[in-house]
Amino acid sequence: MNSGKSQPTSNTTVLWIIGAFLALIIGGVIIAQATPLLFPPQGSAESRQIDDLFKFMLAIGGAIFLLVQGALVYSVIRFRAKPGDTSDGANIHGNATLELVWTAIPAVIVLVLTVYSYQVWVSTREAKSNEQTVYGRGARFVWSFSYDVPASAVPSDVELDKLPQNIQDAITNNSSFPITSRELHTFVGQPIKMVLDTADTLHAFWIPAMRIKQDLIAGRTTEIRFTPIQAGEFPVVCAELCGGGHGDMRAKIIVHADETEYLTWFNDQVNAVVYPPDDPVLRGQQVLASGQYPCAGCHTLTSMSWTGITGPNLNGVGDRAATVRSAATGETPEEYIHRSLYHPTEYLVPGFGPLMPQFQPEAGLPNFMPVDDNKAIVAYLCTQTSTGESACDLSNLDAIIAAAG
Amino acid sequence: MASITAPLGQAQTTAPGLKVSDFFRWSVDHKIIGIQYMATAIFFFIVGGALAMLIRWELLTPNLDLMQNGEQYNTLFSIHATVMIFLWIIPMFAGFGNYLVPLMLGAKDMAFPWLNAFAFWLIPPAGILLLLGWFVGPAQAGWTSYPPLSTLYSGDGQTLWAMSLHLLGISSILGAINFIVTIKNMRPEGMGYWQMPLFVWAILATSIIVVLATPFLAGALTLLILDRVAGTSFFNPANGGDALLWQNVFWFYSHPAVYIMVLPGMGIISEILSIHARKPIFGYRAIALSSMAIALVGFTVWAHHMFTSLTPELRIPFMVTSMIIAVPTGIKVFSWLGTLWGGKIRFTSAMLFGLGFLSMFVIGGISGVMLGSVPVDIHLHDTYFVVSHLHFVLYGGSVFAIFGGIYHWFPKMFGRRLNERLGKLHFALTYLGFFFTFFPQHIAGLQGMPRRVAVYAPEFQQINMIISIASFVLGIATFVLIYNIIVTLIAGKRVGANPWRALTLEWATSSPPPAYNFVGDPVPFEDPYGYGTEESVAYLDALEKRFPPPVDAEGTLTRAPQSGD
Repeated sequence: MNSGKSQPTSNTTVLWIIGAFLALIIGGVIIAQATPLLFPPQGSAESRQIDDLFKFMLAIGGAIFLLVQGALVYSVIRFRAKPGDTSDGANIHGNATLELVWTAIPAVIVLVLTVYSYQVWVSTREAKSNEQTVYGRGARFVWSFSYDVPASAVPSDVELDKLPQNIQDAITNNSSFPITSRELHTFVGQPIKMVLDTADTLHAFWIPAMRIKQDLIAGRTTEIRFTPIQAGEFPVVCAELCGGGHGDMRAKIIVHADETEYLTWFNDQVNAVVYPPDDPVLRGQQVLASGQYPCAGCHTLTSMSWTGITGPNLNGVGDRAATVRSAATGETPEEYIHRSLYHPTEYLVPGFGPLMPQFQPEAGLPNFMPVDDNKAIVAYLCTQTSTGESACDLSNLDAIIAAAG
Repeated sequence: MASITAPLGQAQTTAPGLKVSDFFRWSVDHKIIGIQYMATAIFFFIVGGALAMLIRWELLTPNLDLMQNGEQYNTLFSIHATVMIFLWIIPMFAGFGNYLVPLMLGAKDMAFPWLNAFAFWLIPPAGILLLLGWFVGPAQAGWTSYPPLSTLYSGDGQTLWAMSLHLLGISSILGAINFIVTIKNMRPEGMGYWQMPLFVWAILATSIIVVLATPFLAGALTLLILDRVAGTSFFNPANGGDALLWQNVFWFYSHPAVYIMVLPGMGIISEILSIHARKPIFGYRAIALSSMAIALVGFTVWAHHMFTSLTPELRIPFMVTSMIIAVPTGIKVFSWLGTLWGGKIRFTSAMLFGLGFLSMFVIGGISGVMLGSVPVDIHLHDTYFVVSHLHFVLYGGSVFAIFGGIYHWFPKMFGRRLNERLGKLHFALTYLGFFFTFFPQHIAGLQGMPRRVAVYAPEFQQINMIISIASFVLGIATFVLIYNIIVTLIAGKRVGANPWRALTLEWATSSPPPAYNFVGDPVPFEDPYGYGTEESVAYLDALEKRFPPPVDAEGTLTRAPQSGD
């Protein structure tokens, strides 16, 4: 054989080549049928388009895979040196036509993939006229989601002075205030625009079922859109390394079947906030469960179903505050817990690093925690004792706070 | 002037008489430096591999068991990746380049022998500096080290990490300068650029990337160190900085870095496939030019690592460039297939790893194109799909090429050939262990498993168990090679100057070469891949006459396999 084309390609060769191409395409299409098995359920409108794009790429990739592996297998069988054969192979350096073809075909393939991908990209990013904005926040190592509640949604019989200052202001000014939940709720067919921010490191908001992911970047807010099409619960996963608790940083999105079901949940959340319980322990439980503060990311507290391990275990903290810690610092247990929320580094438990955010009592500062929330949390944590009885004297705490001015 | 075809006396064929201690001392001989690079790199391969075994042991169950906390686990994969990239693959290829480039060019040494030694000796202290981080709070922000995690939430080991990488970057740049000057100035009479072996082309393309890209890594590392120790805020938005600045500058280096890590391997594959199939490389100029094209286009794709953090409007241009770079890579794969087609394939261990490279690298290429599509990458970024892709190209690609290169050039370096039975065992365990470790990871990622987690959702346990067990097989496979190397160095079968009957110049001198490499100025054969002609047979026969193998040697190894091999 010479290194150029000195003979026309025979008809049999052409038939073999056509046959091989058809076999590869069919093989690729067969492989691509595995696509639904590879992905989580299709939870969003976007997921359909993305899965179809992936299936197309898998068909092409599958065909290329079969081509290369097939050529390899064929070569090692057909072109192996027979025992005793010390001769060389044919002195062929190339084939211009072949090289042109195998440059042109991949170029066309990637062009097609680029255009198709661009179309899917544009389509999945479009703003929808009826989209709802939900705020997502990542903080090491827990997610929280906030919804704007317009003042008009607040019933008229609420007792204003029992409410946090920001809600009182929102009602008086007829603006809006946020409510927070550790779970993301929406309903089938409702387009969502997530507005995301981080309290500390980079995180990434990923809902595999929706096929959407967006990094949370320090110093900015970022956005991502999706429209759920299937009712159910789906995992929300952090997809950017954020520290030791990165793997634990998971939440749930709950897609209600319809708007009515969703509004039932939503109104329950609003009512819990605008009709706060009188019992400070219950109020504390409510504050902690809402996810406004990222305690669950680092602490274990069985009564709240928290499983964090970056910080000290809070089971029995009421007992420890009353005995161990108070002995060390001389403070009463309620004073101890109250202050350690605002000055965590002064109360480091041996074996743990200074990783807890420093909460601040003044609005406008980072990690703002109003004094009323602090007192509620103290009230709840004081009941984390072996008996369930509070270890604290809350009126003493009121006096201390009043004295501090 | 001495010519290749004239017969020569015995002096040419004796080994230079090097002792083990010679390799622990400062030497400006490129062959010693090359082996020093390679031995150091293999040491760090074992370190990085041990960390991988710990990672896979931890991931046998969804909960924390082996590690006490998440930070310890984060350190495992951070150091694993850093070691594998900067202390294994990059220096290993520098070692191959150092050993082979002067020999392939018929030269006595590299252009700058002292600089060569200096560049190597930066590596052991850099490695020690990295590992010392263990005692001061080791790096745990991944090898990508994104702020704010790496600036505000990491211990002093992170600073040591950055300083270590500075040293390794300097080493890399100095080596690259040396290669570029050597290749430009020291080619022999009769070897224009189009007559260079493709391994030399690969080293040239790689060195151009190193010189242009590595300074950007140095810039990023300097800003990181300053943020950590000098109170600056380049990456801290609270004081006007930007966390994304790191990502852009880091990836501007680190994407070209992946081509630094694969192009030399591709050069090795070109040599191995041609020689062990006894057939010219198919599409020589296309392969040479595609290396340069990859080097160039490789500078335009970096933000495809940032598809979920980059400003959305900027993502599409990087998708376009990332798709484009698939084309020159595809040209190479098809050219290599064309090389095998119609050849006379010998199933030496080197060839087996060459075939394994083709088989596995193409999978990495396909998954890479998938990741290049923005909408698909939005789902797959930072998942096990990416971990799978990167290991298919870096292990299934680069490391397989390194293994092939070891089997292929070991006879030249040490005058002994590695045991072929052990080589085949190493290949079989590696191929199967590798495939079942990394292929299932595509599925885990698609299904929703993020990367860099010690703790994962319970539904992923089964697939993780399969992956972990396969990875232990892969780990064991490496020791078959280490054992082979050690026993061969002690008592392996001797071979002569050109056991593979290859046409490139490194084989036109004894195994191992004398300190001065060649007697006189060697004349290269007209075509480094000219197999299948009478002229090549005549040239090779004359070489064998000039360098008769030692009395107890095996003679040529490229005879077709016989029973009892």
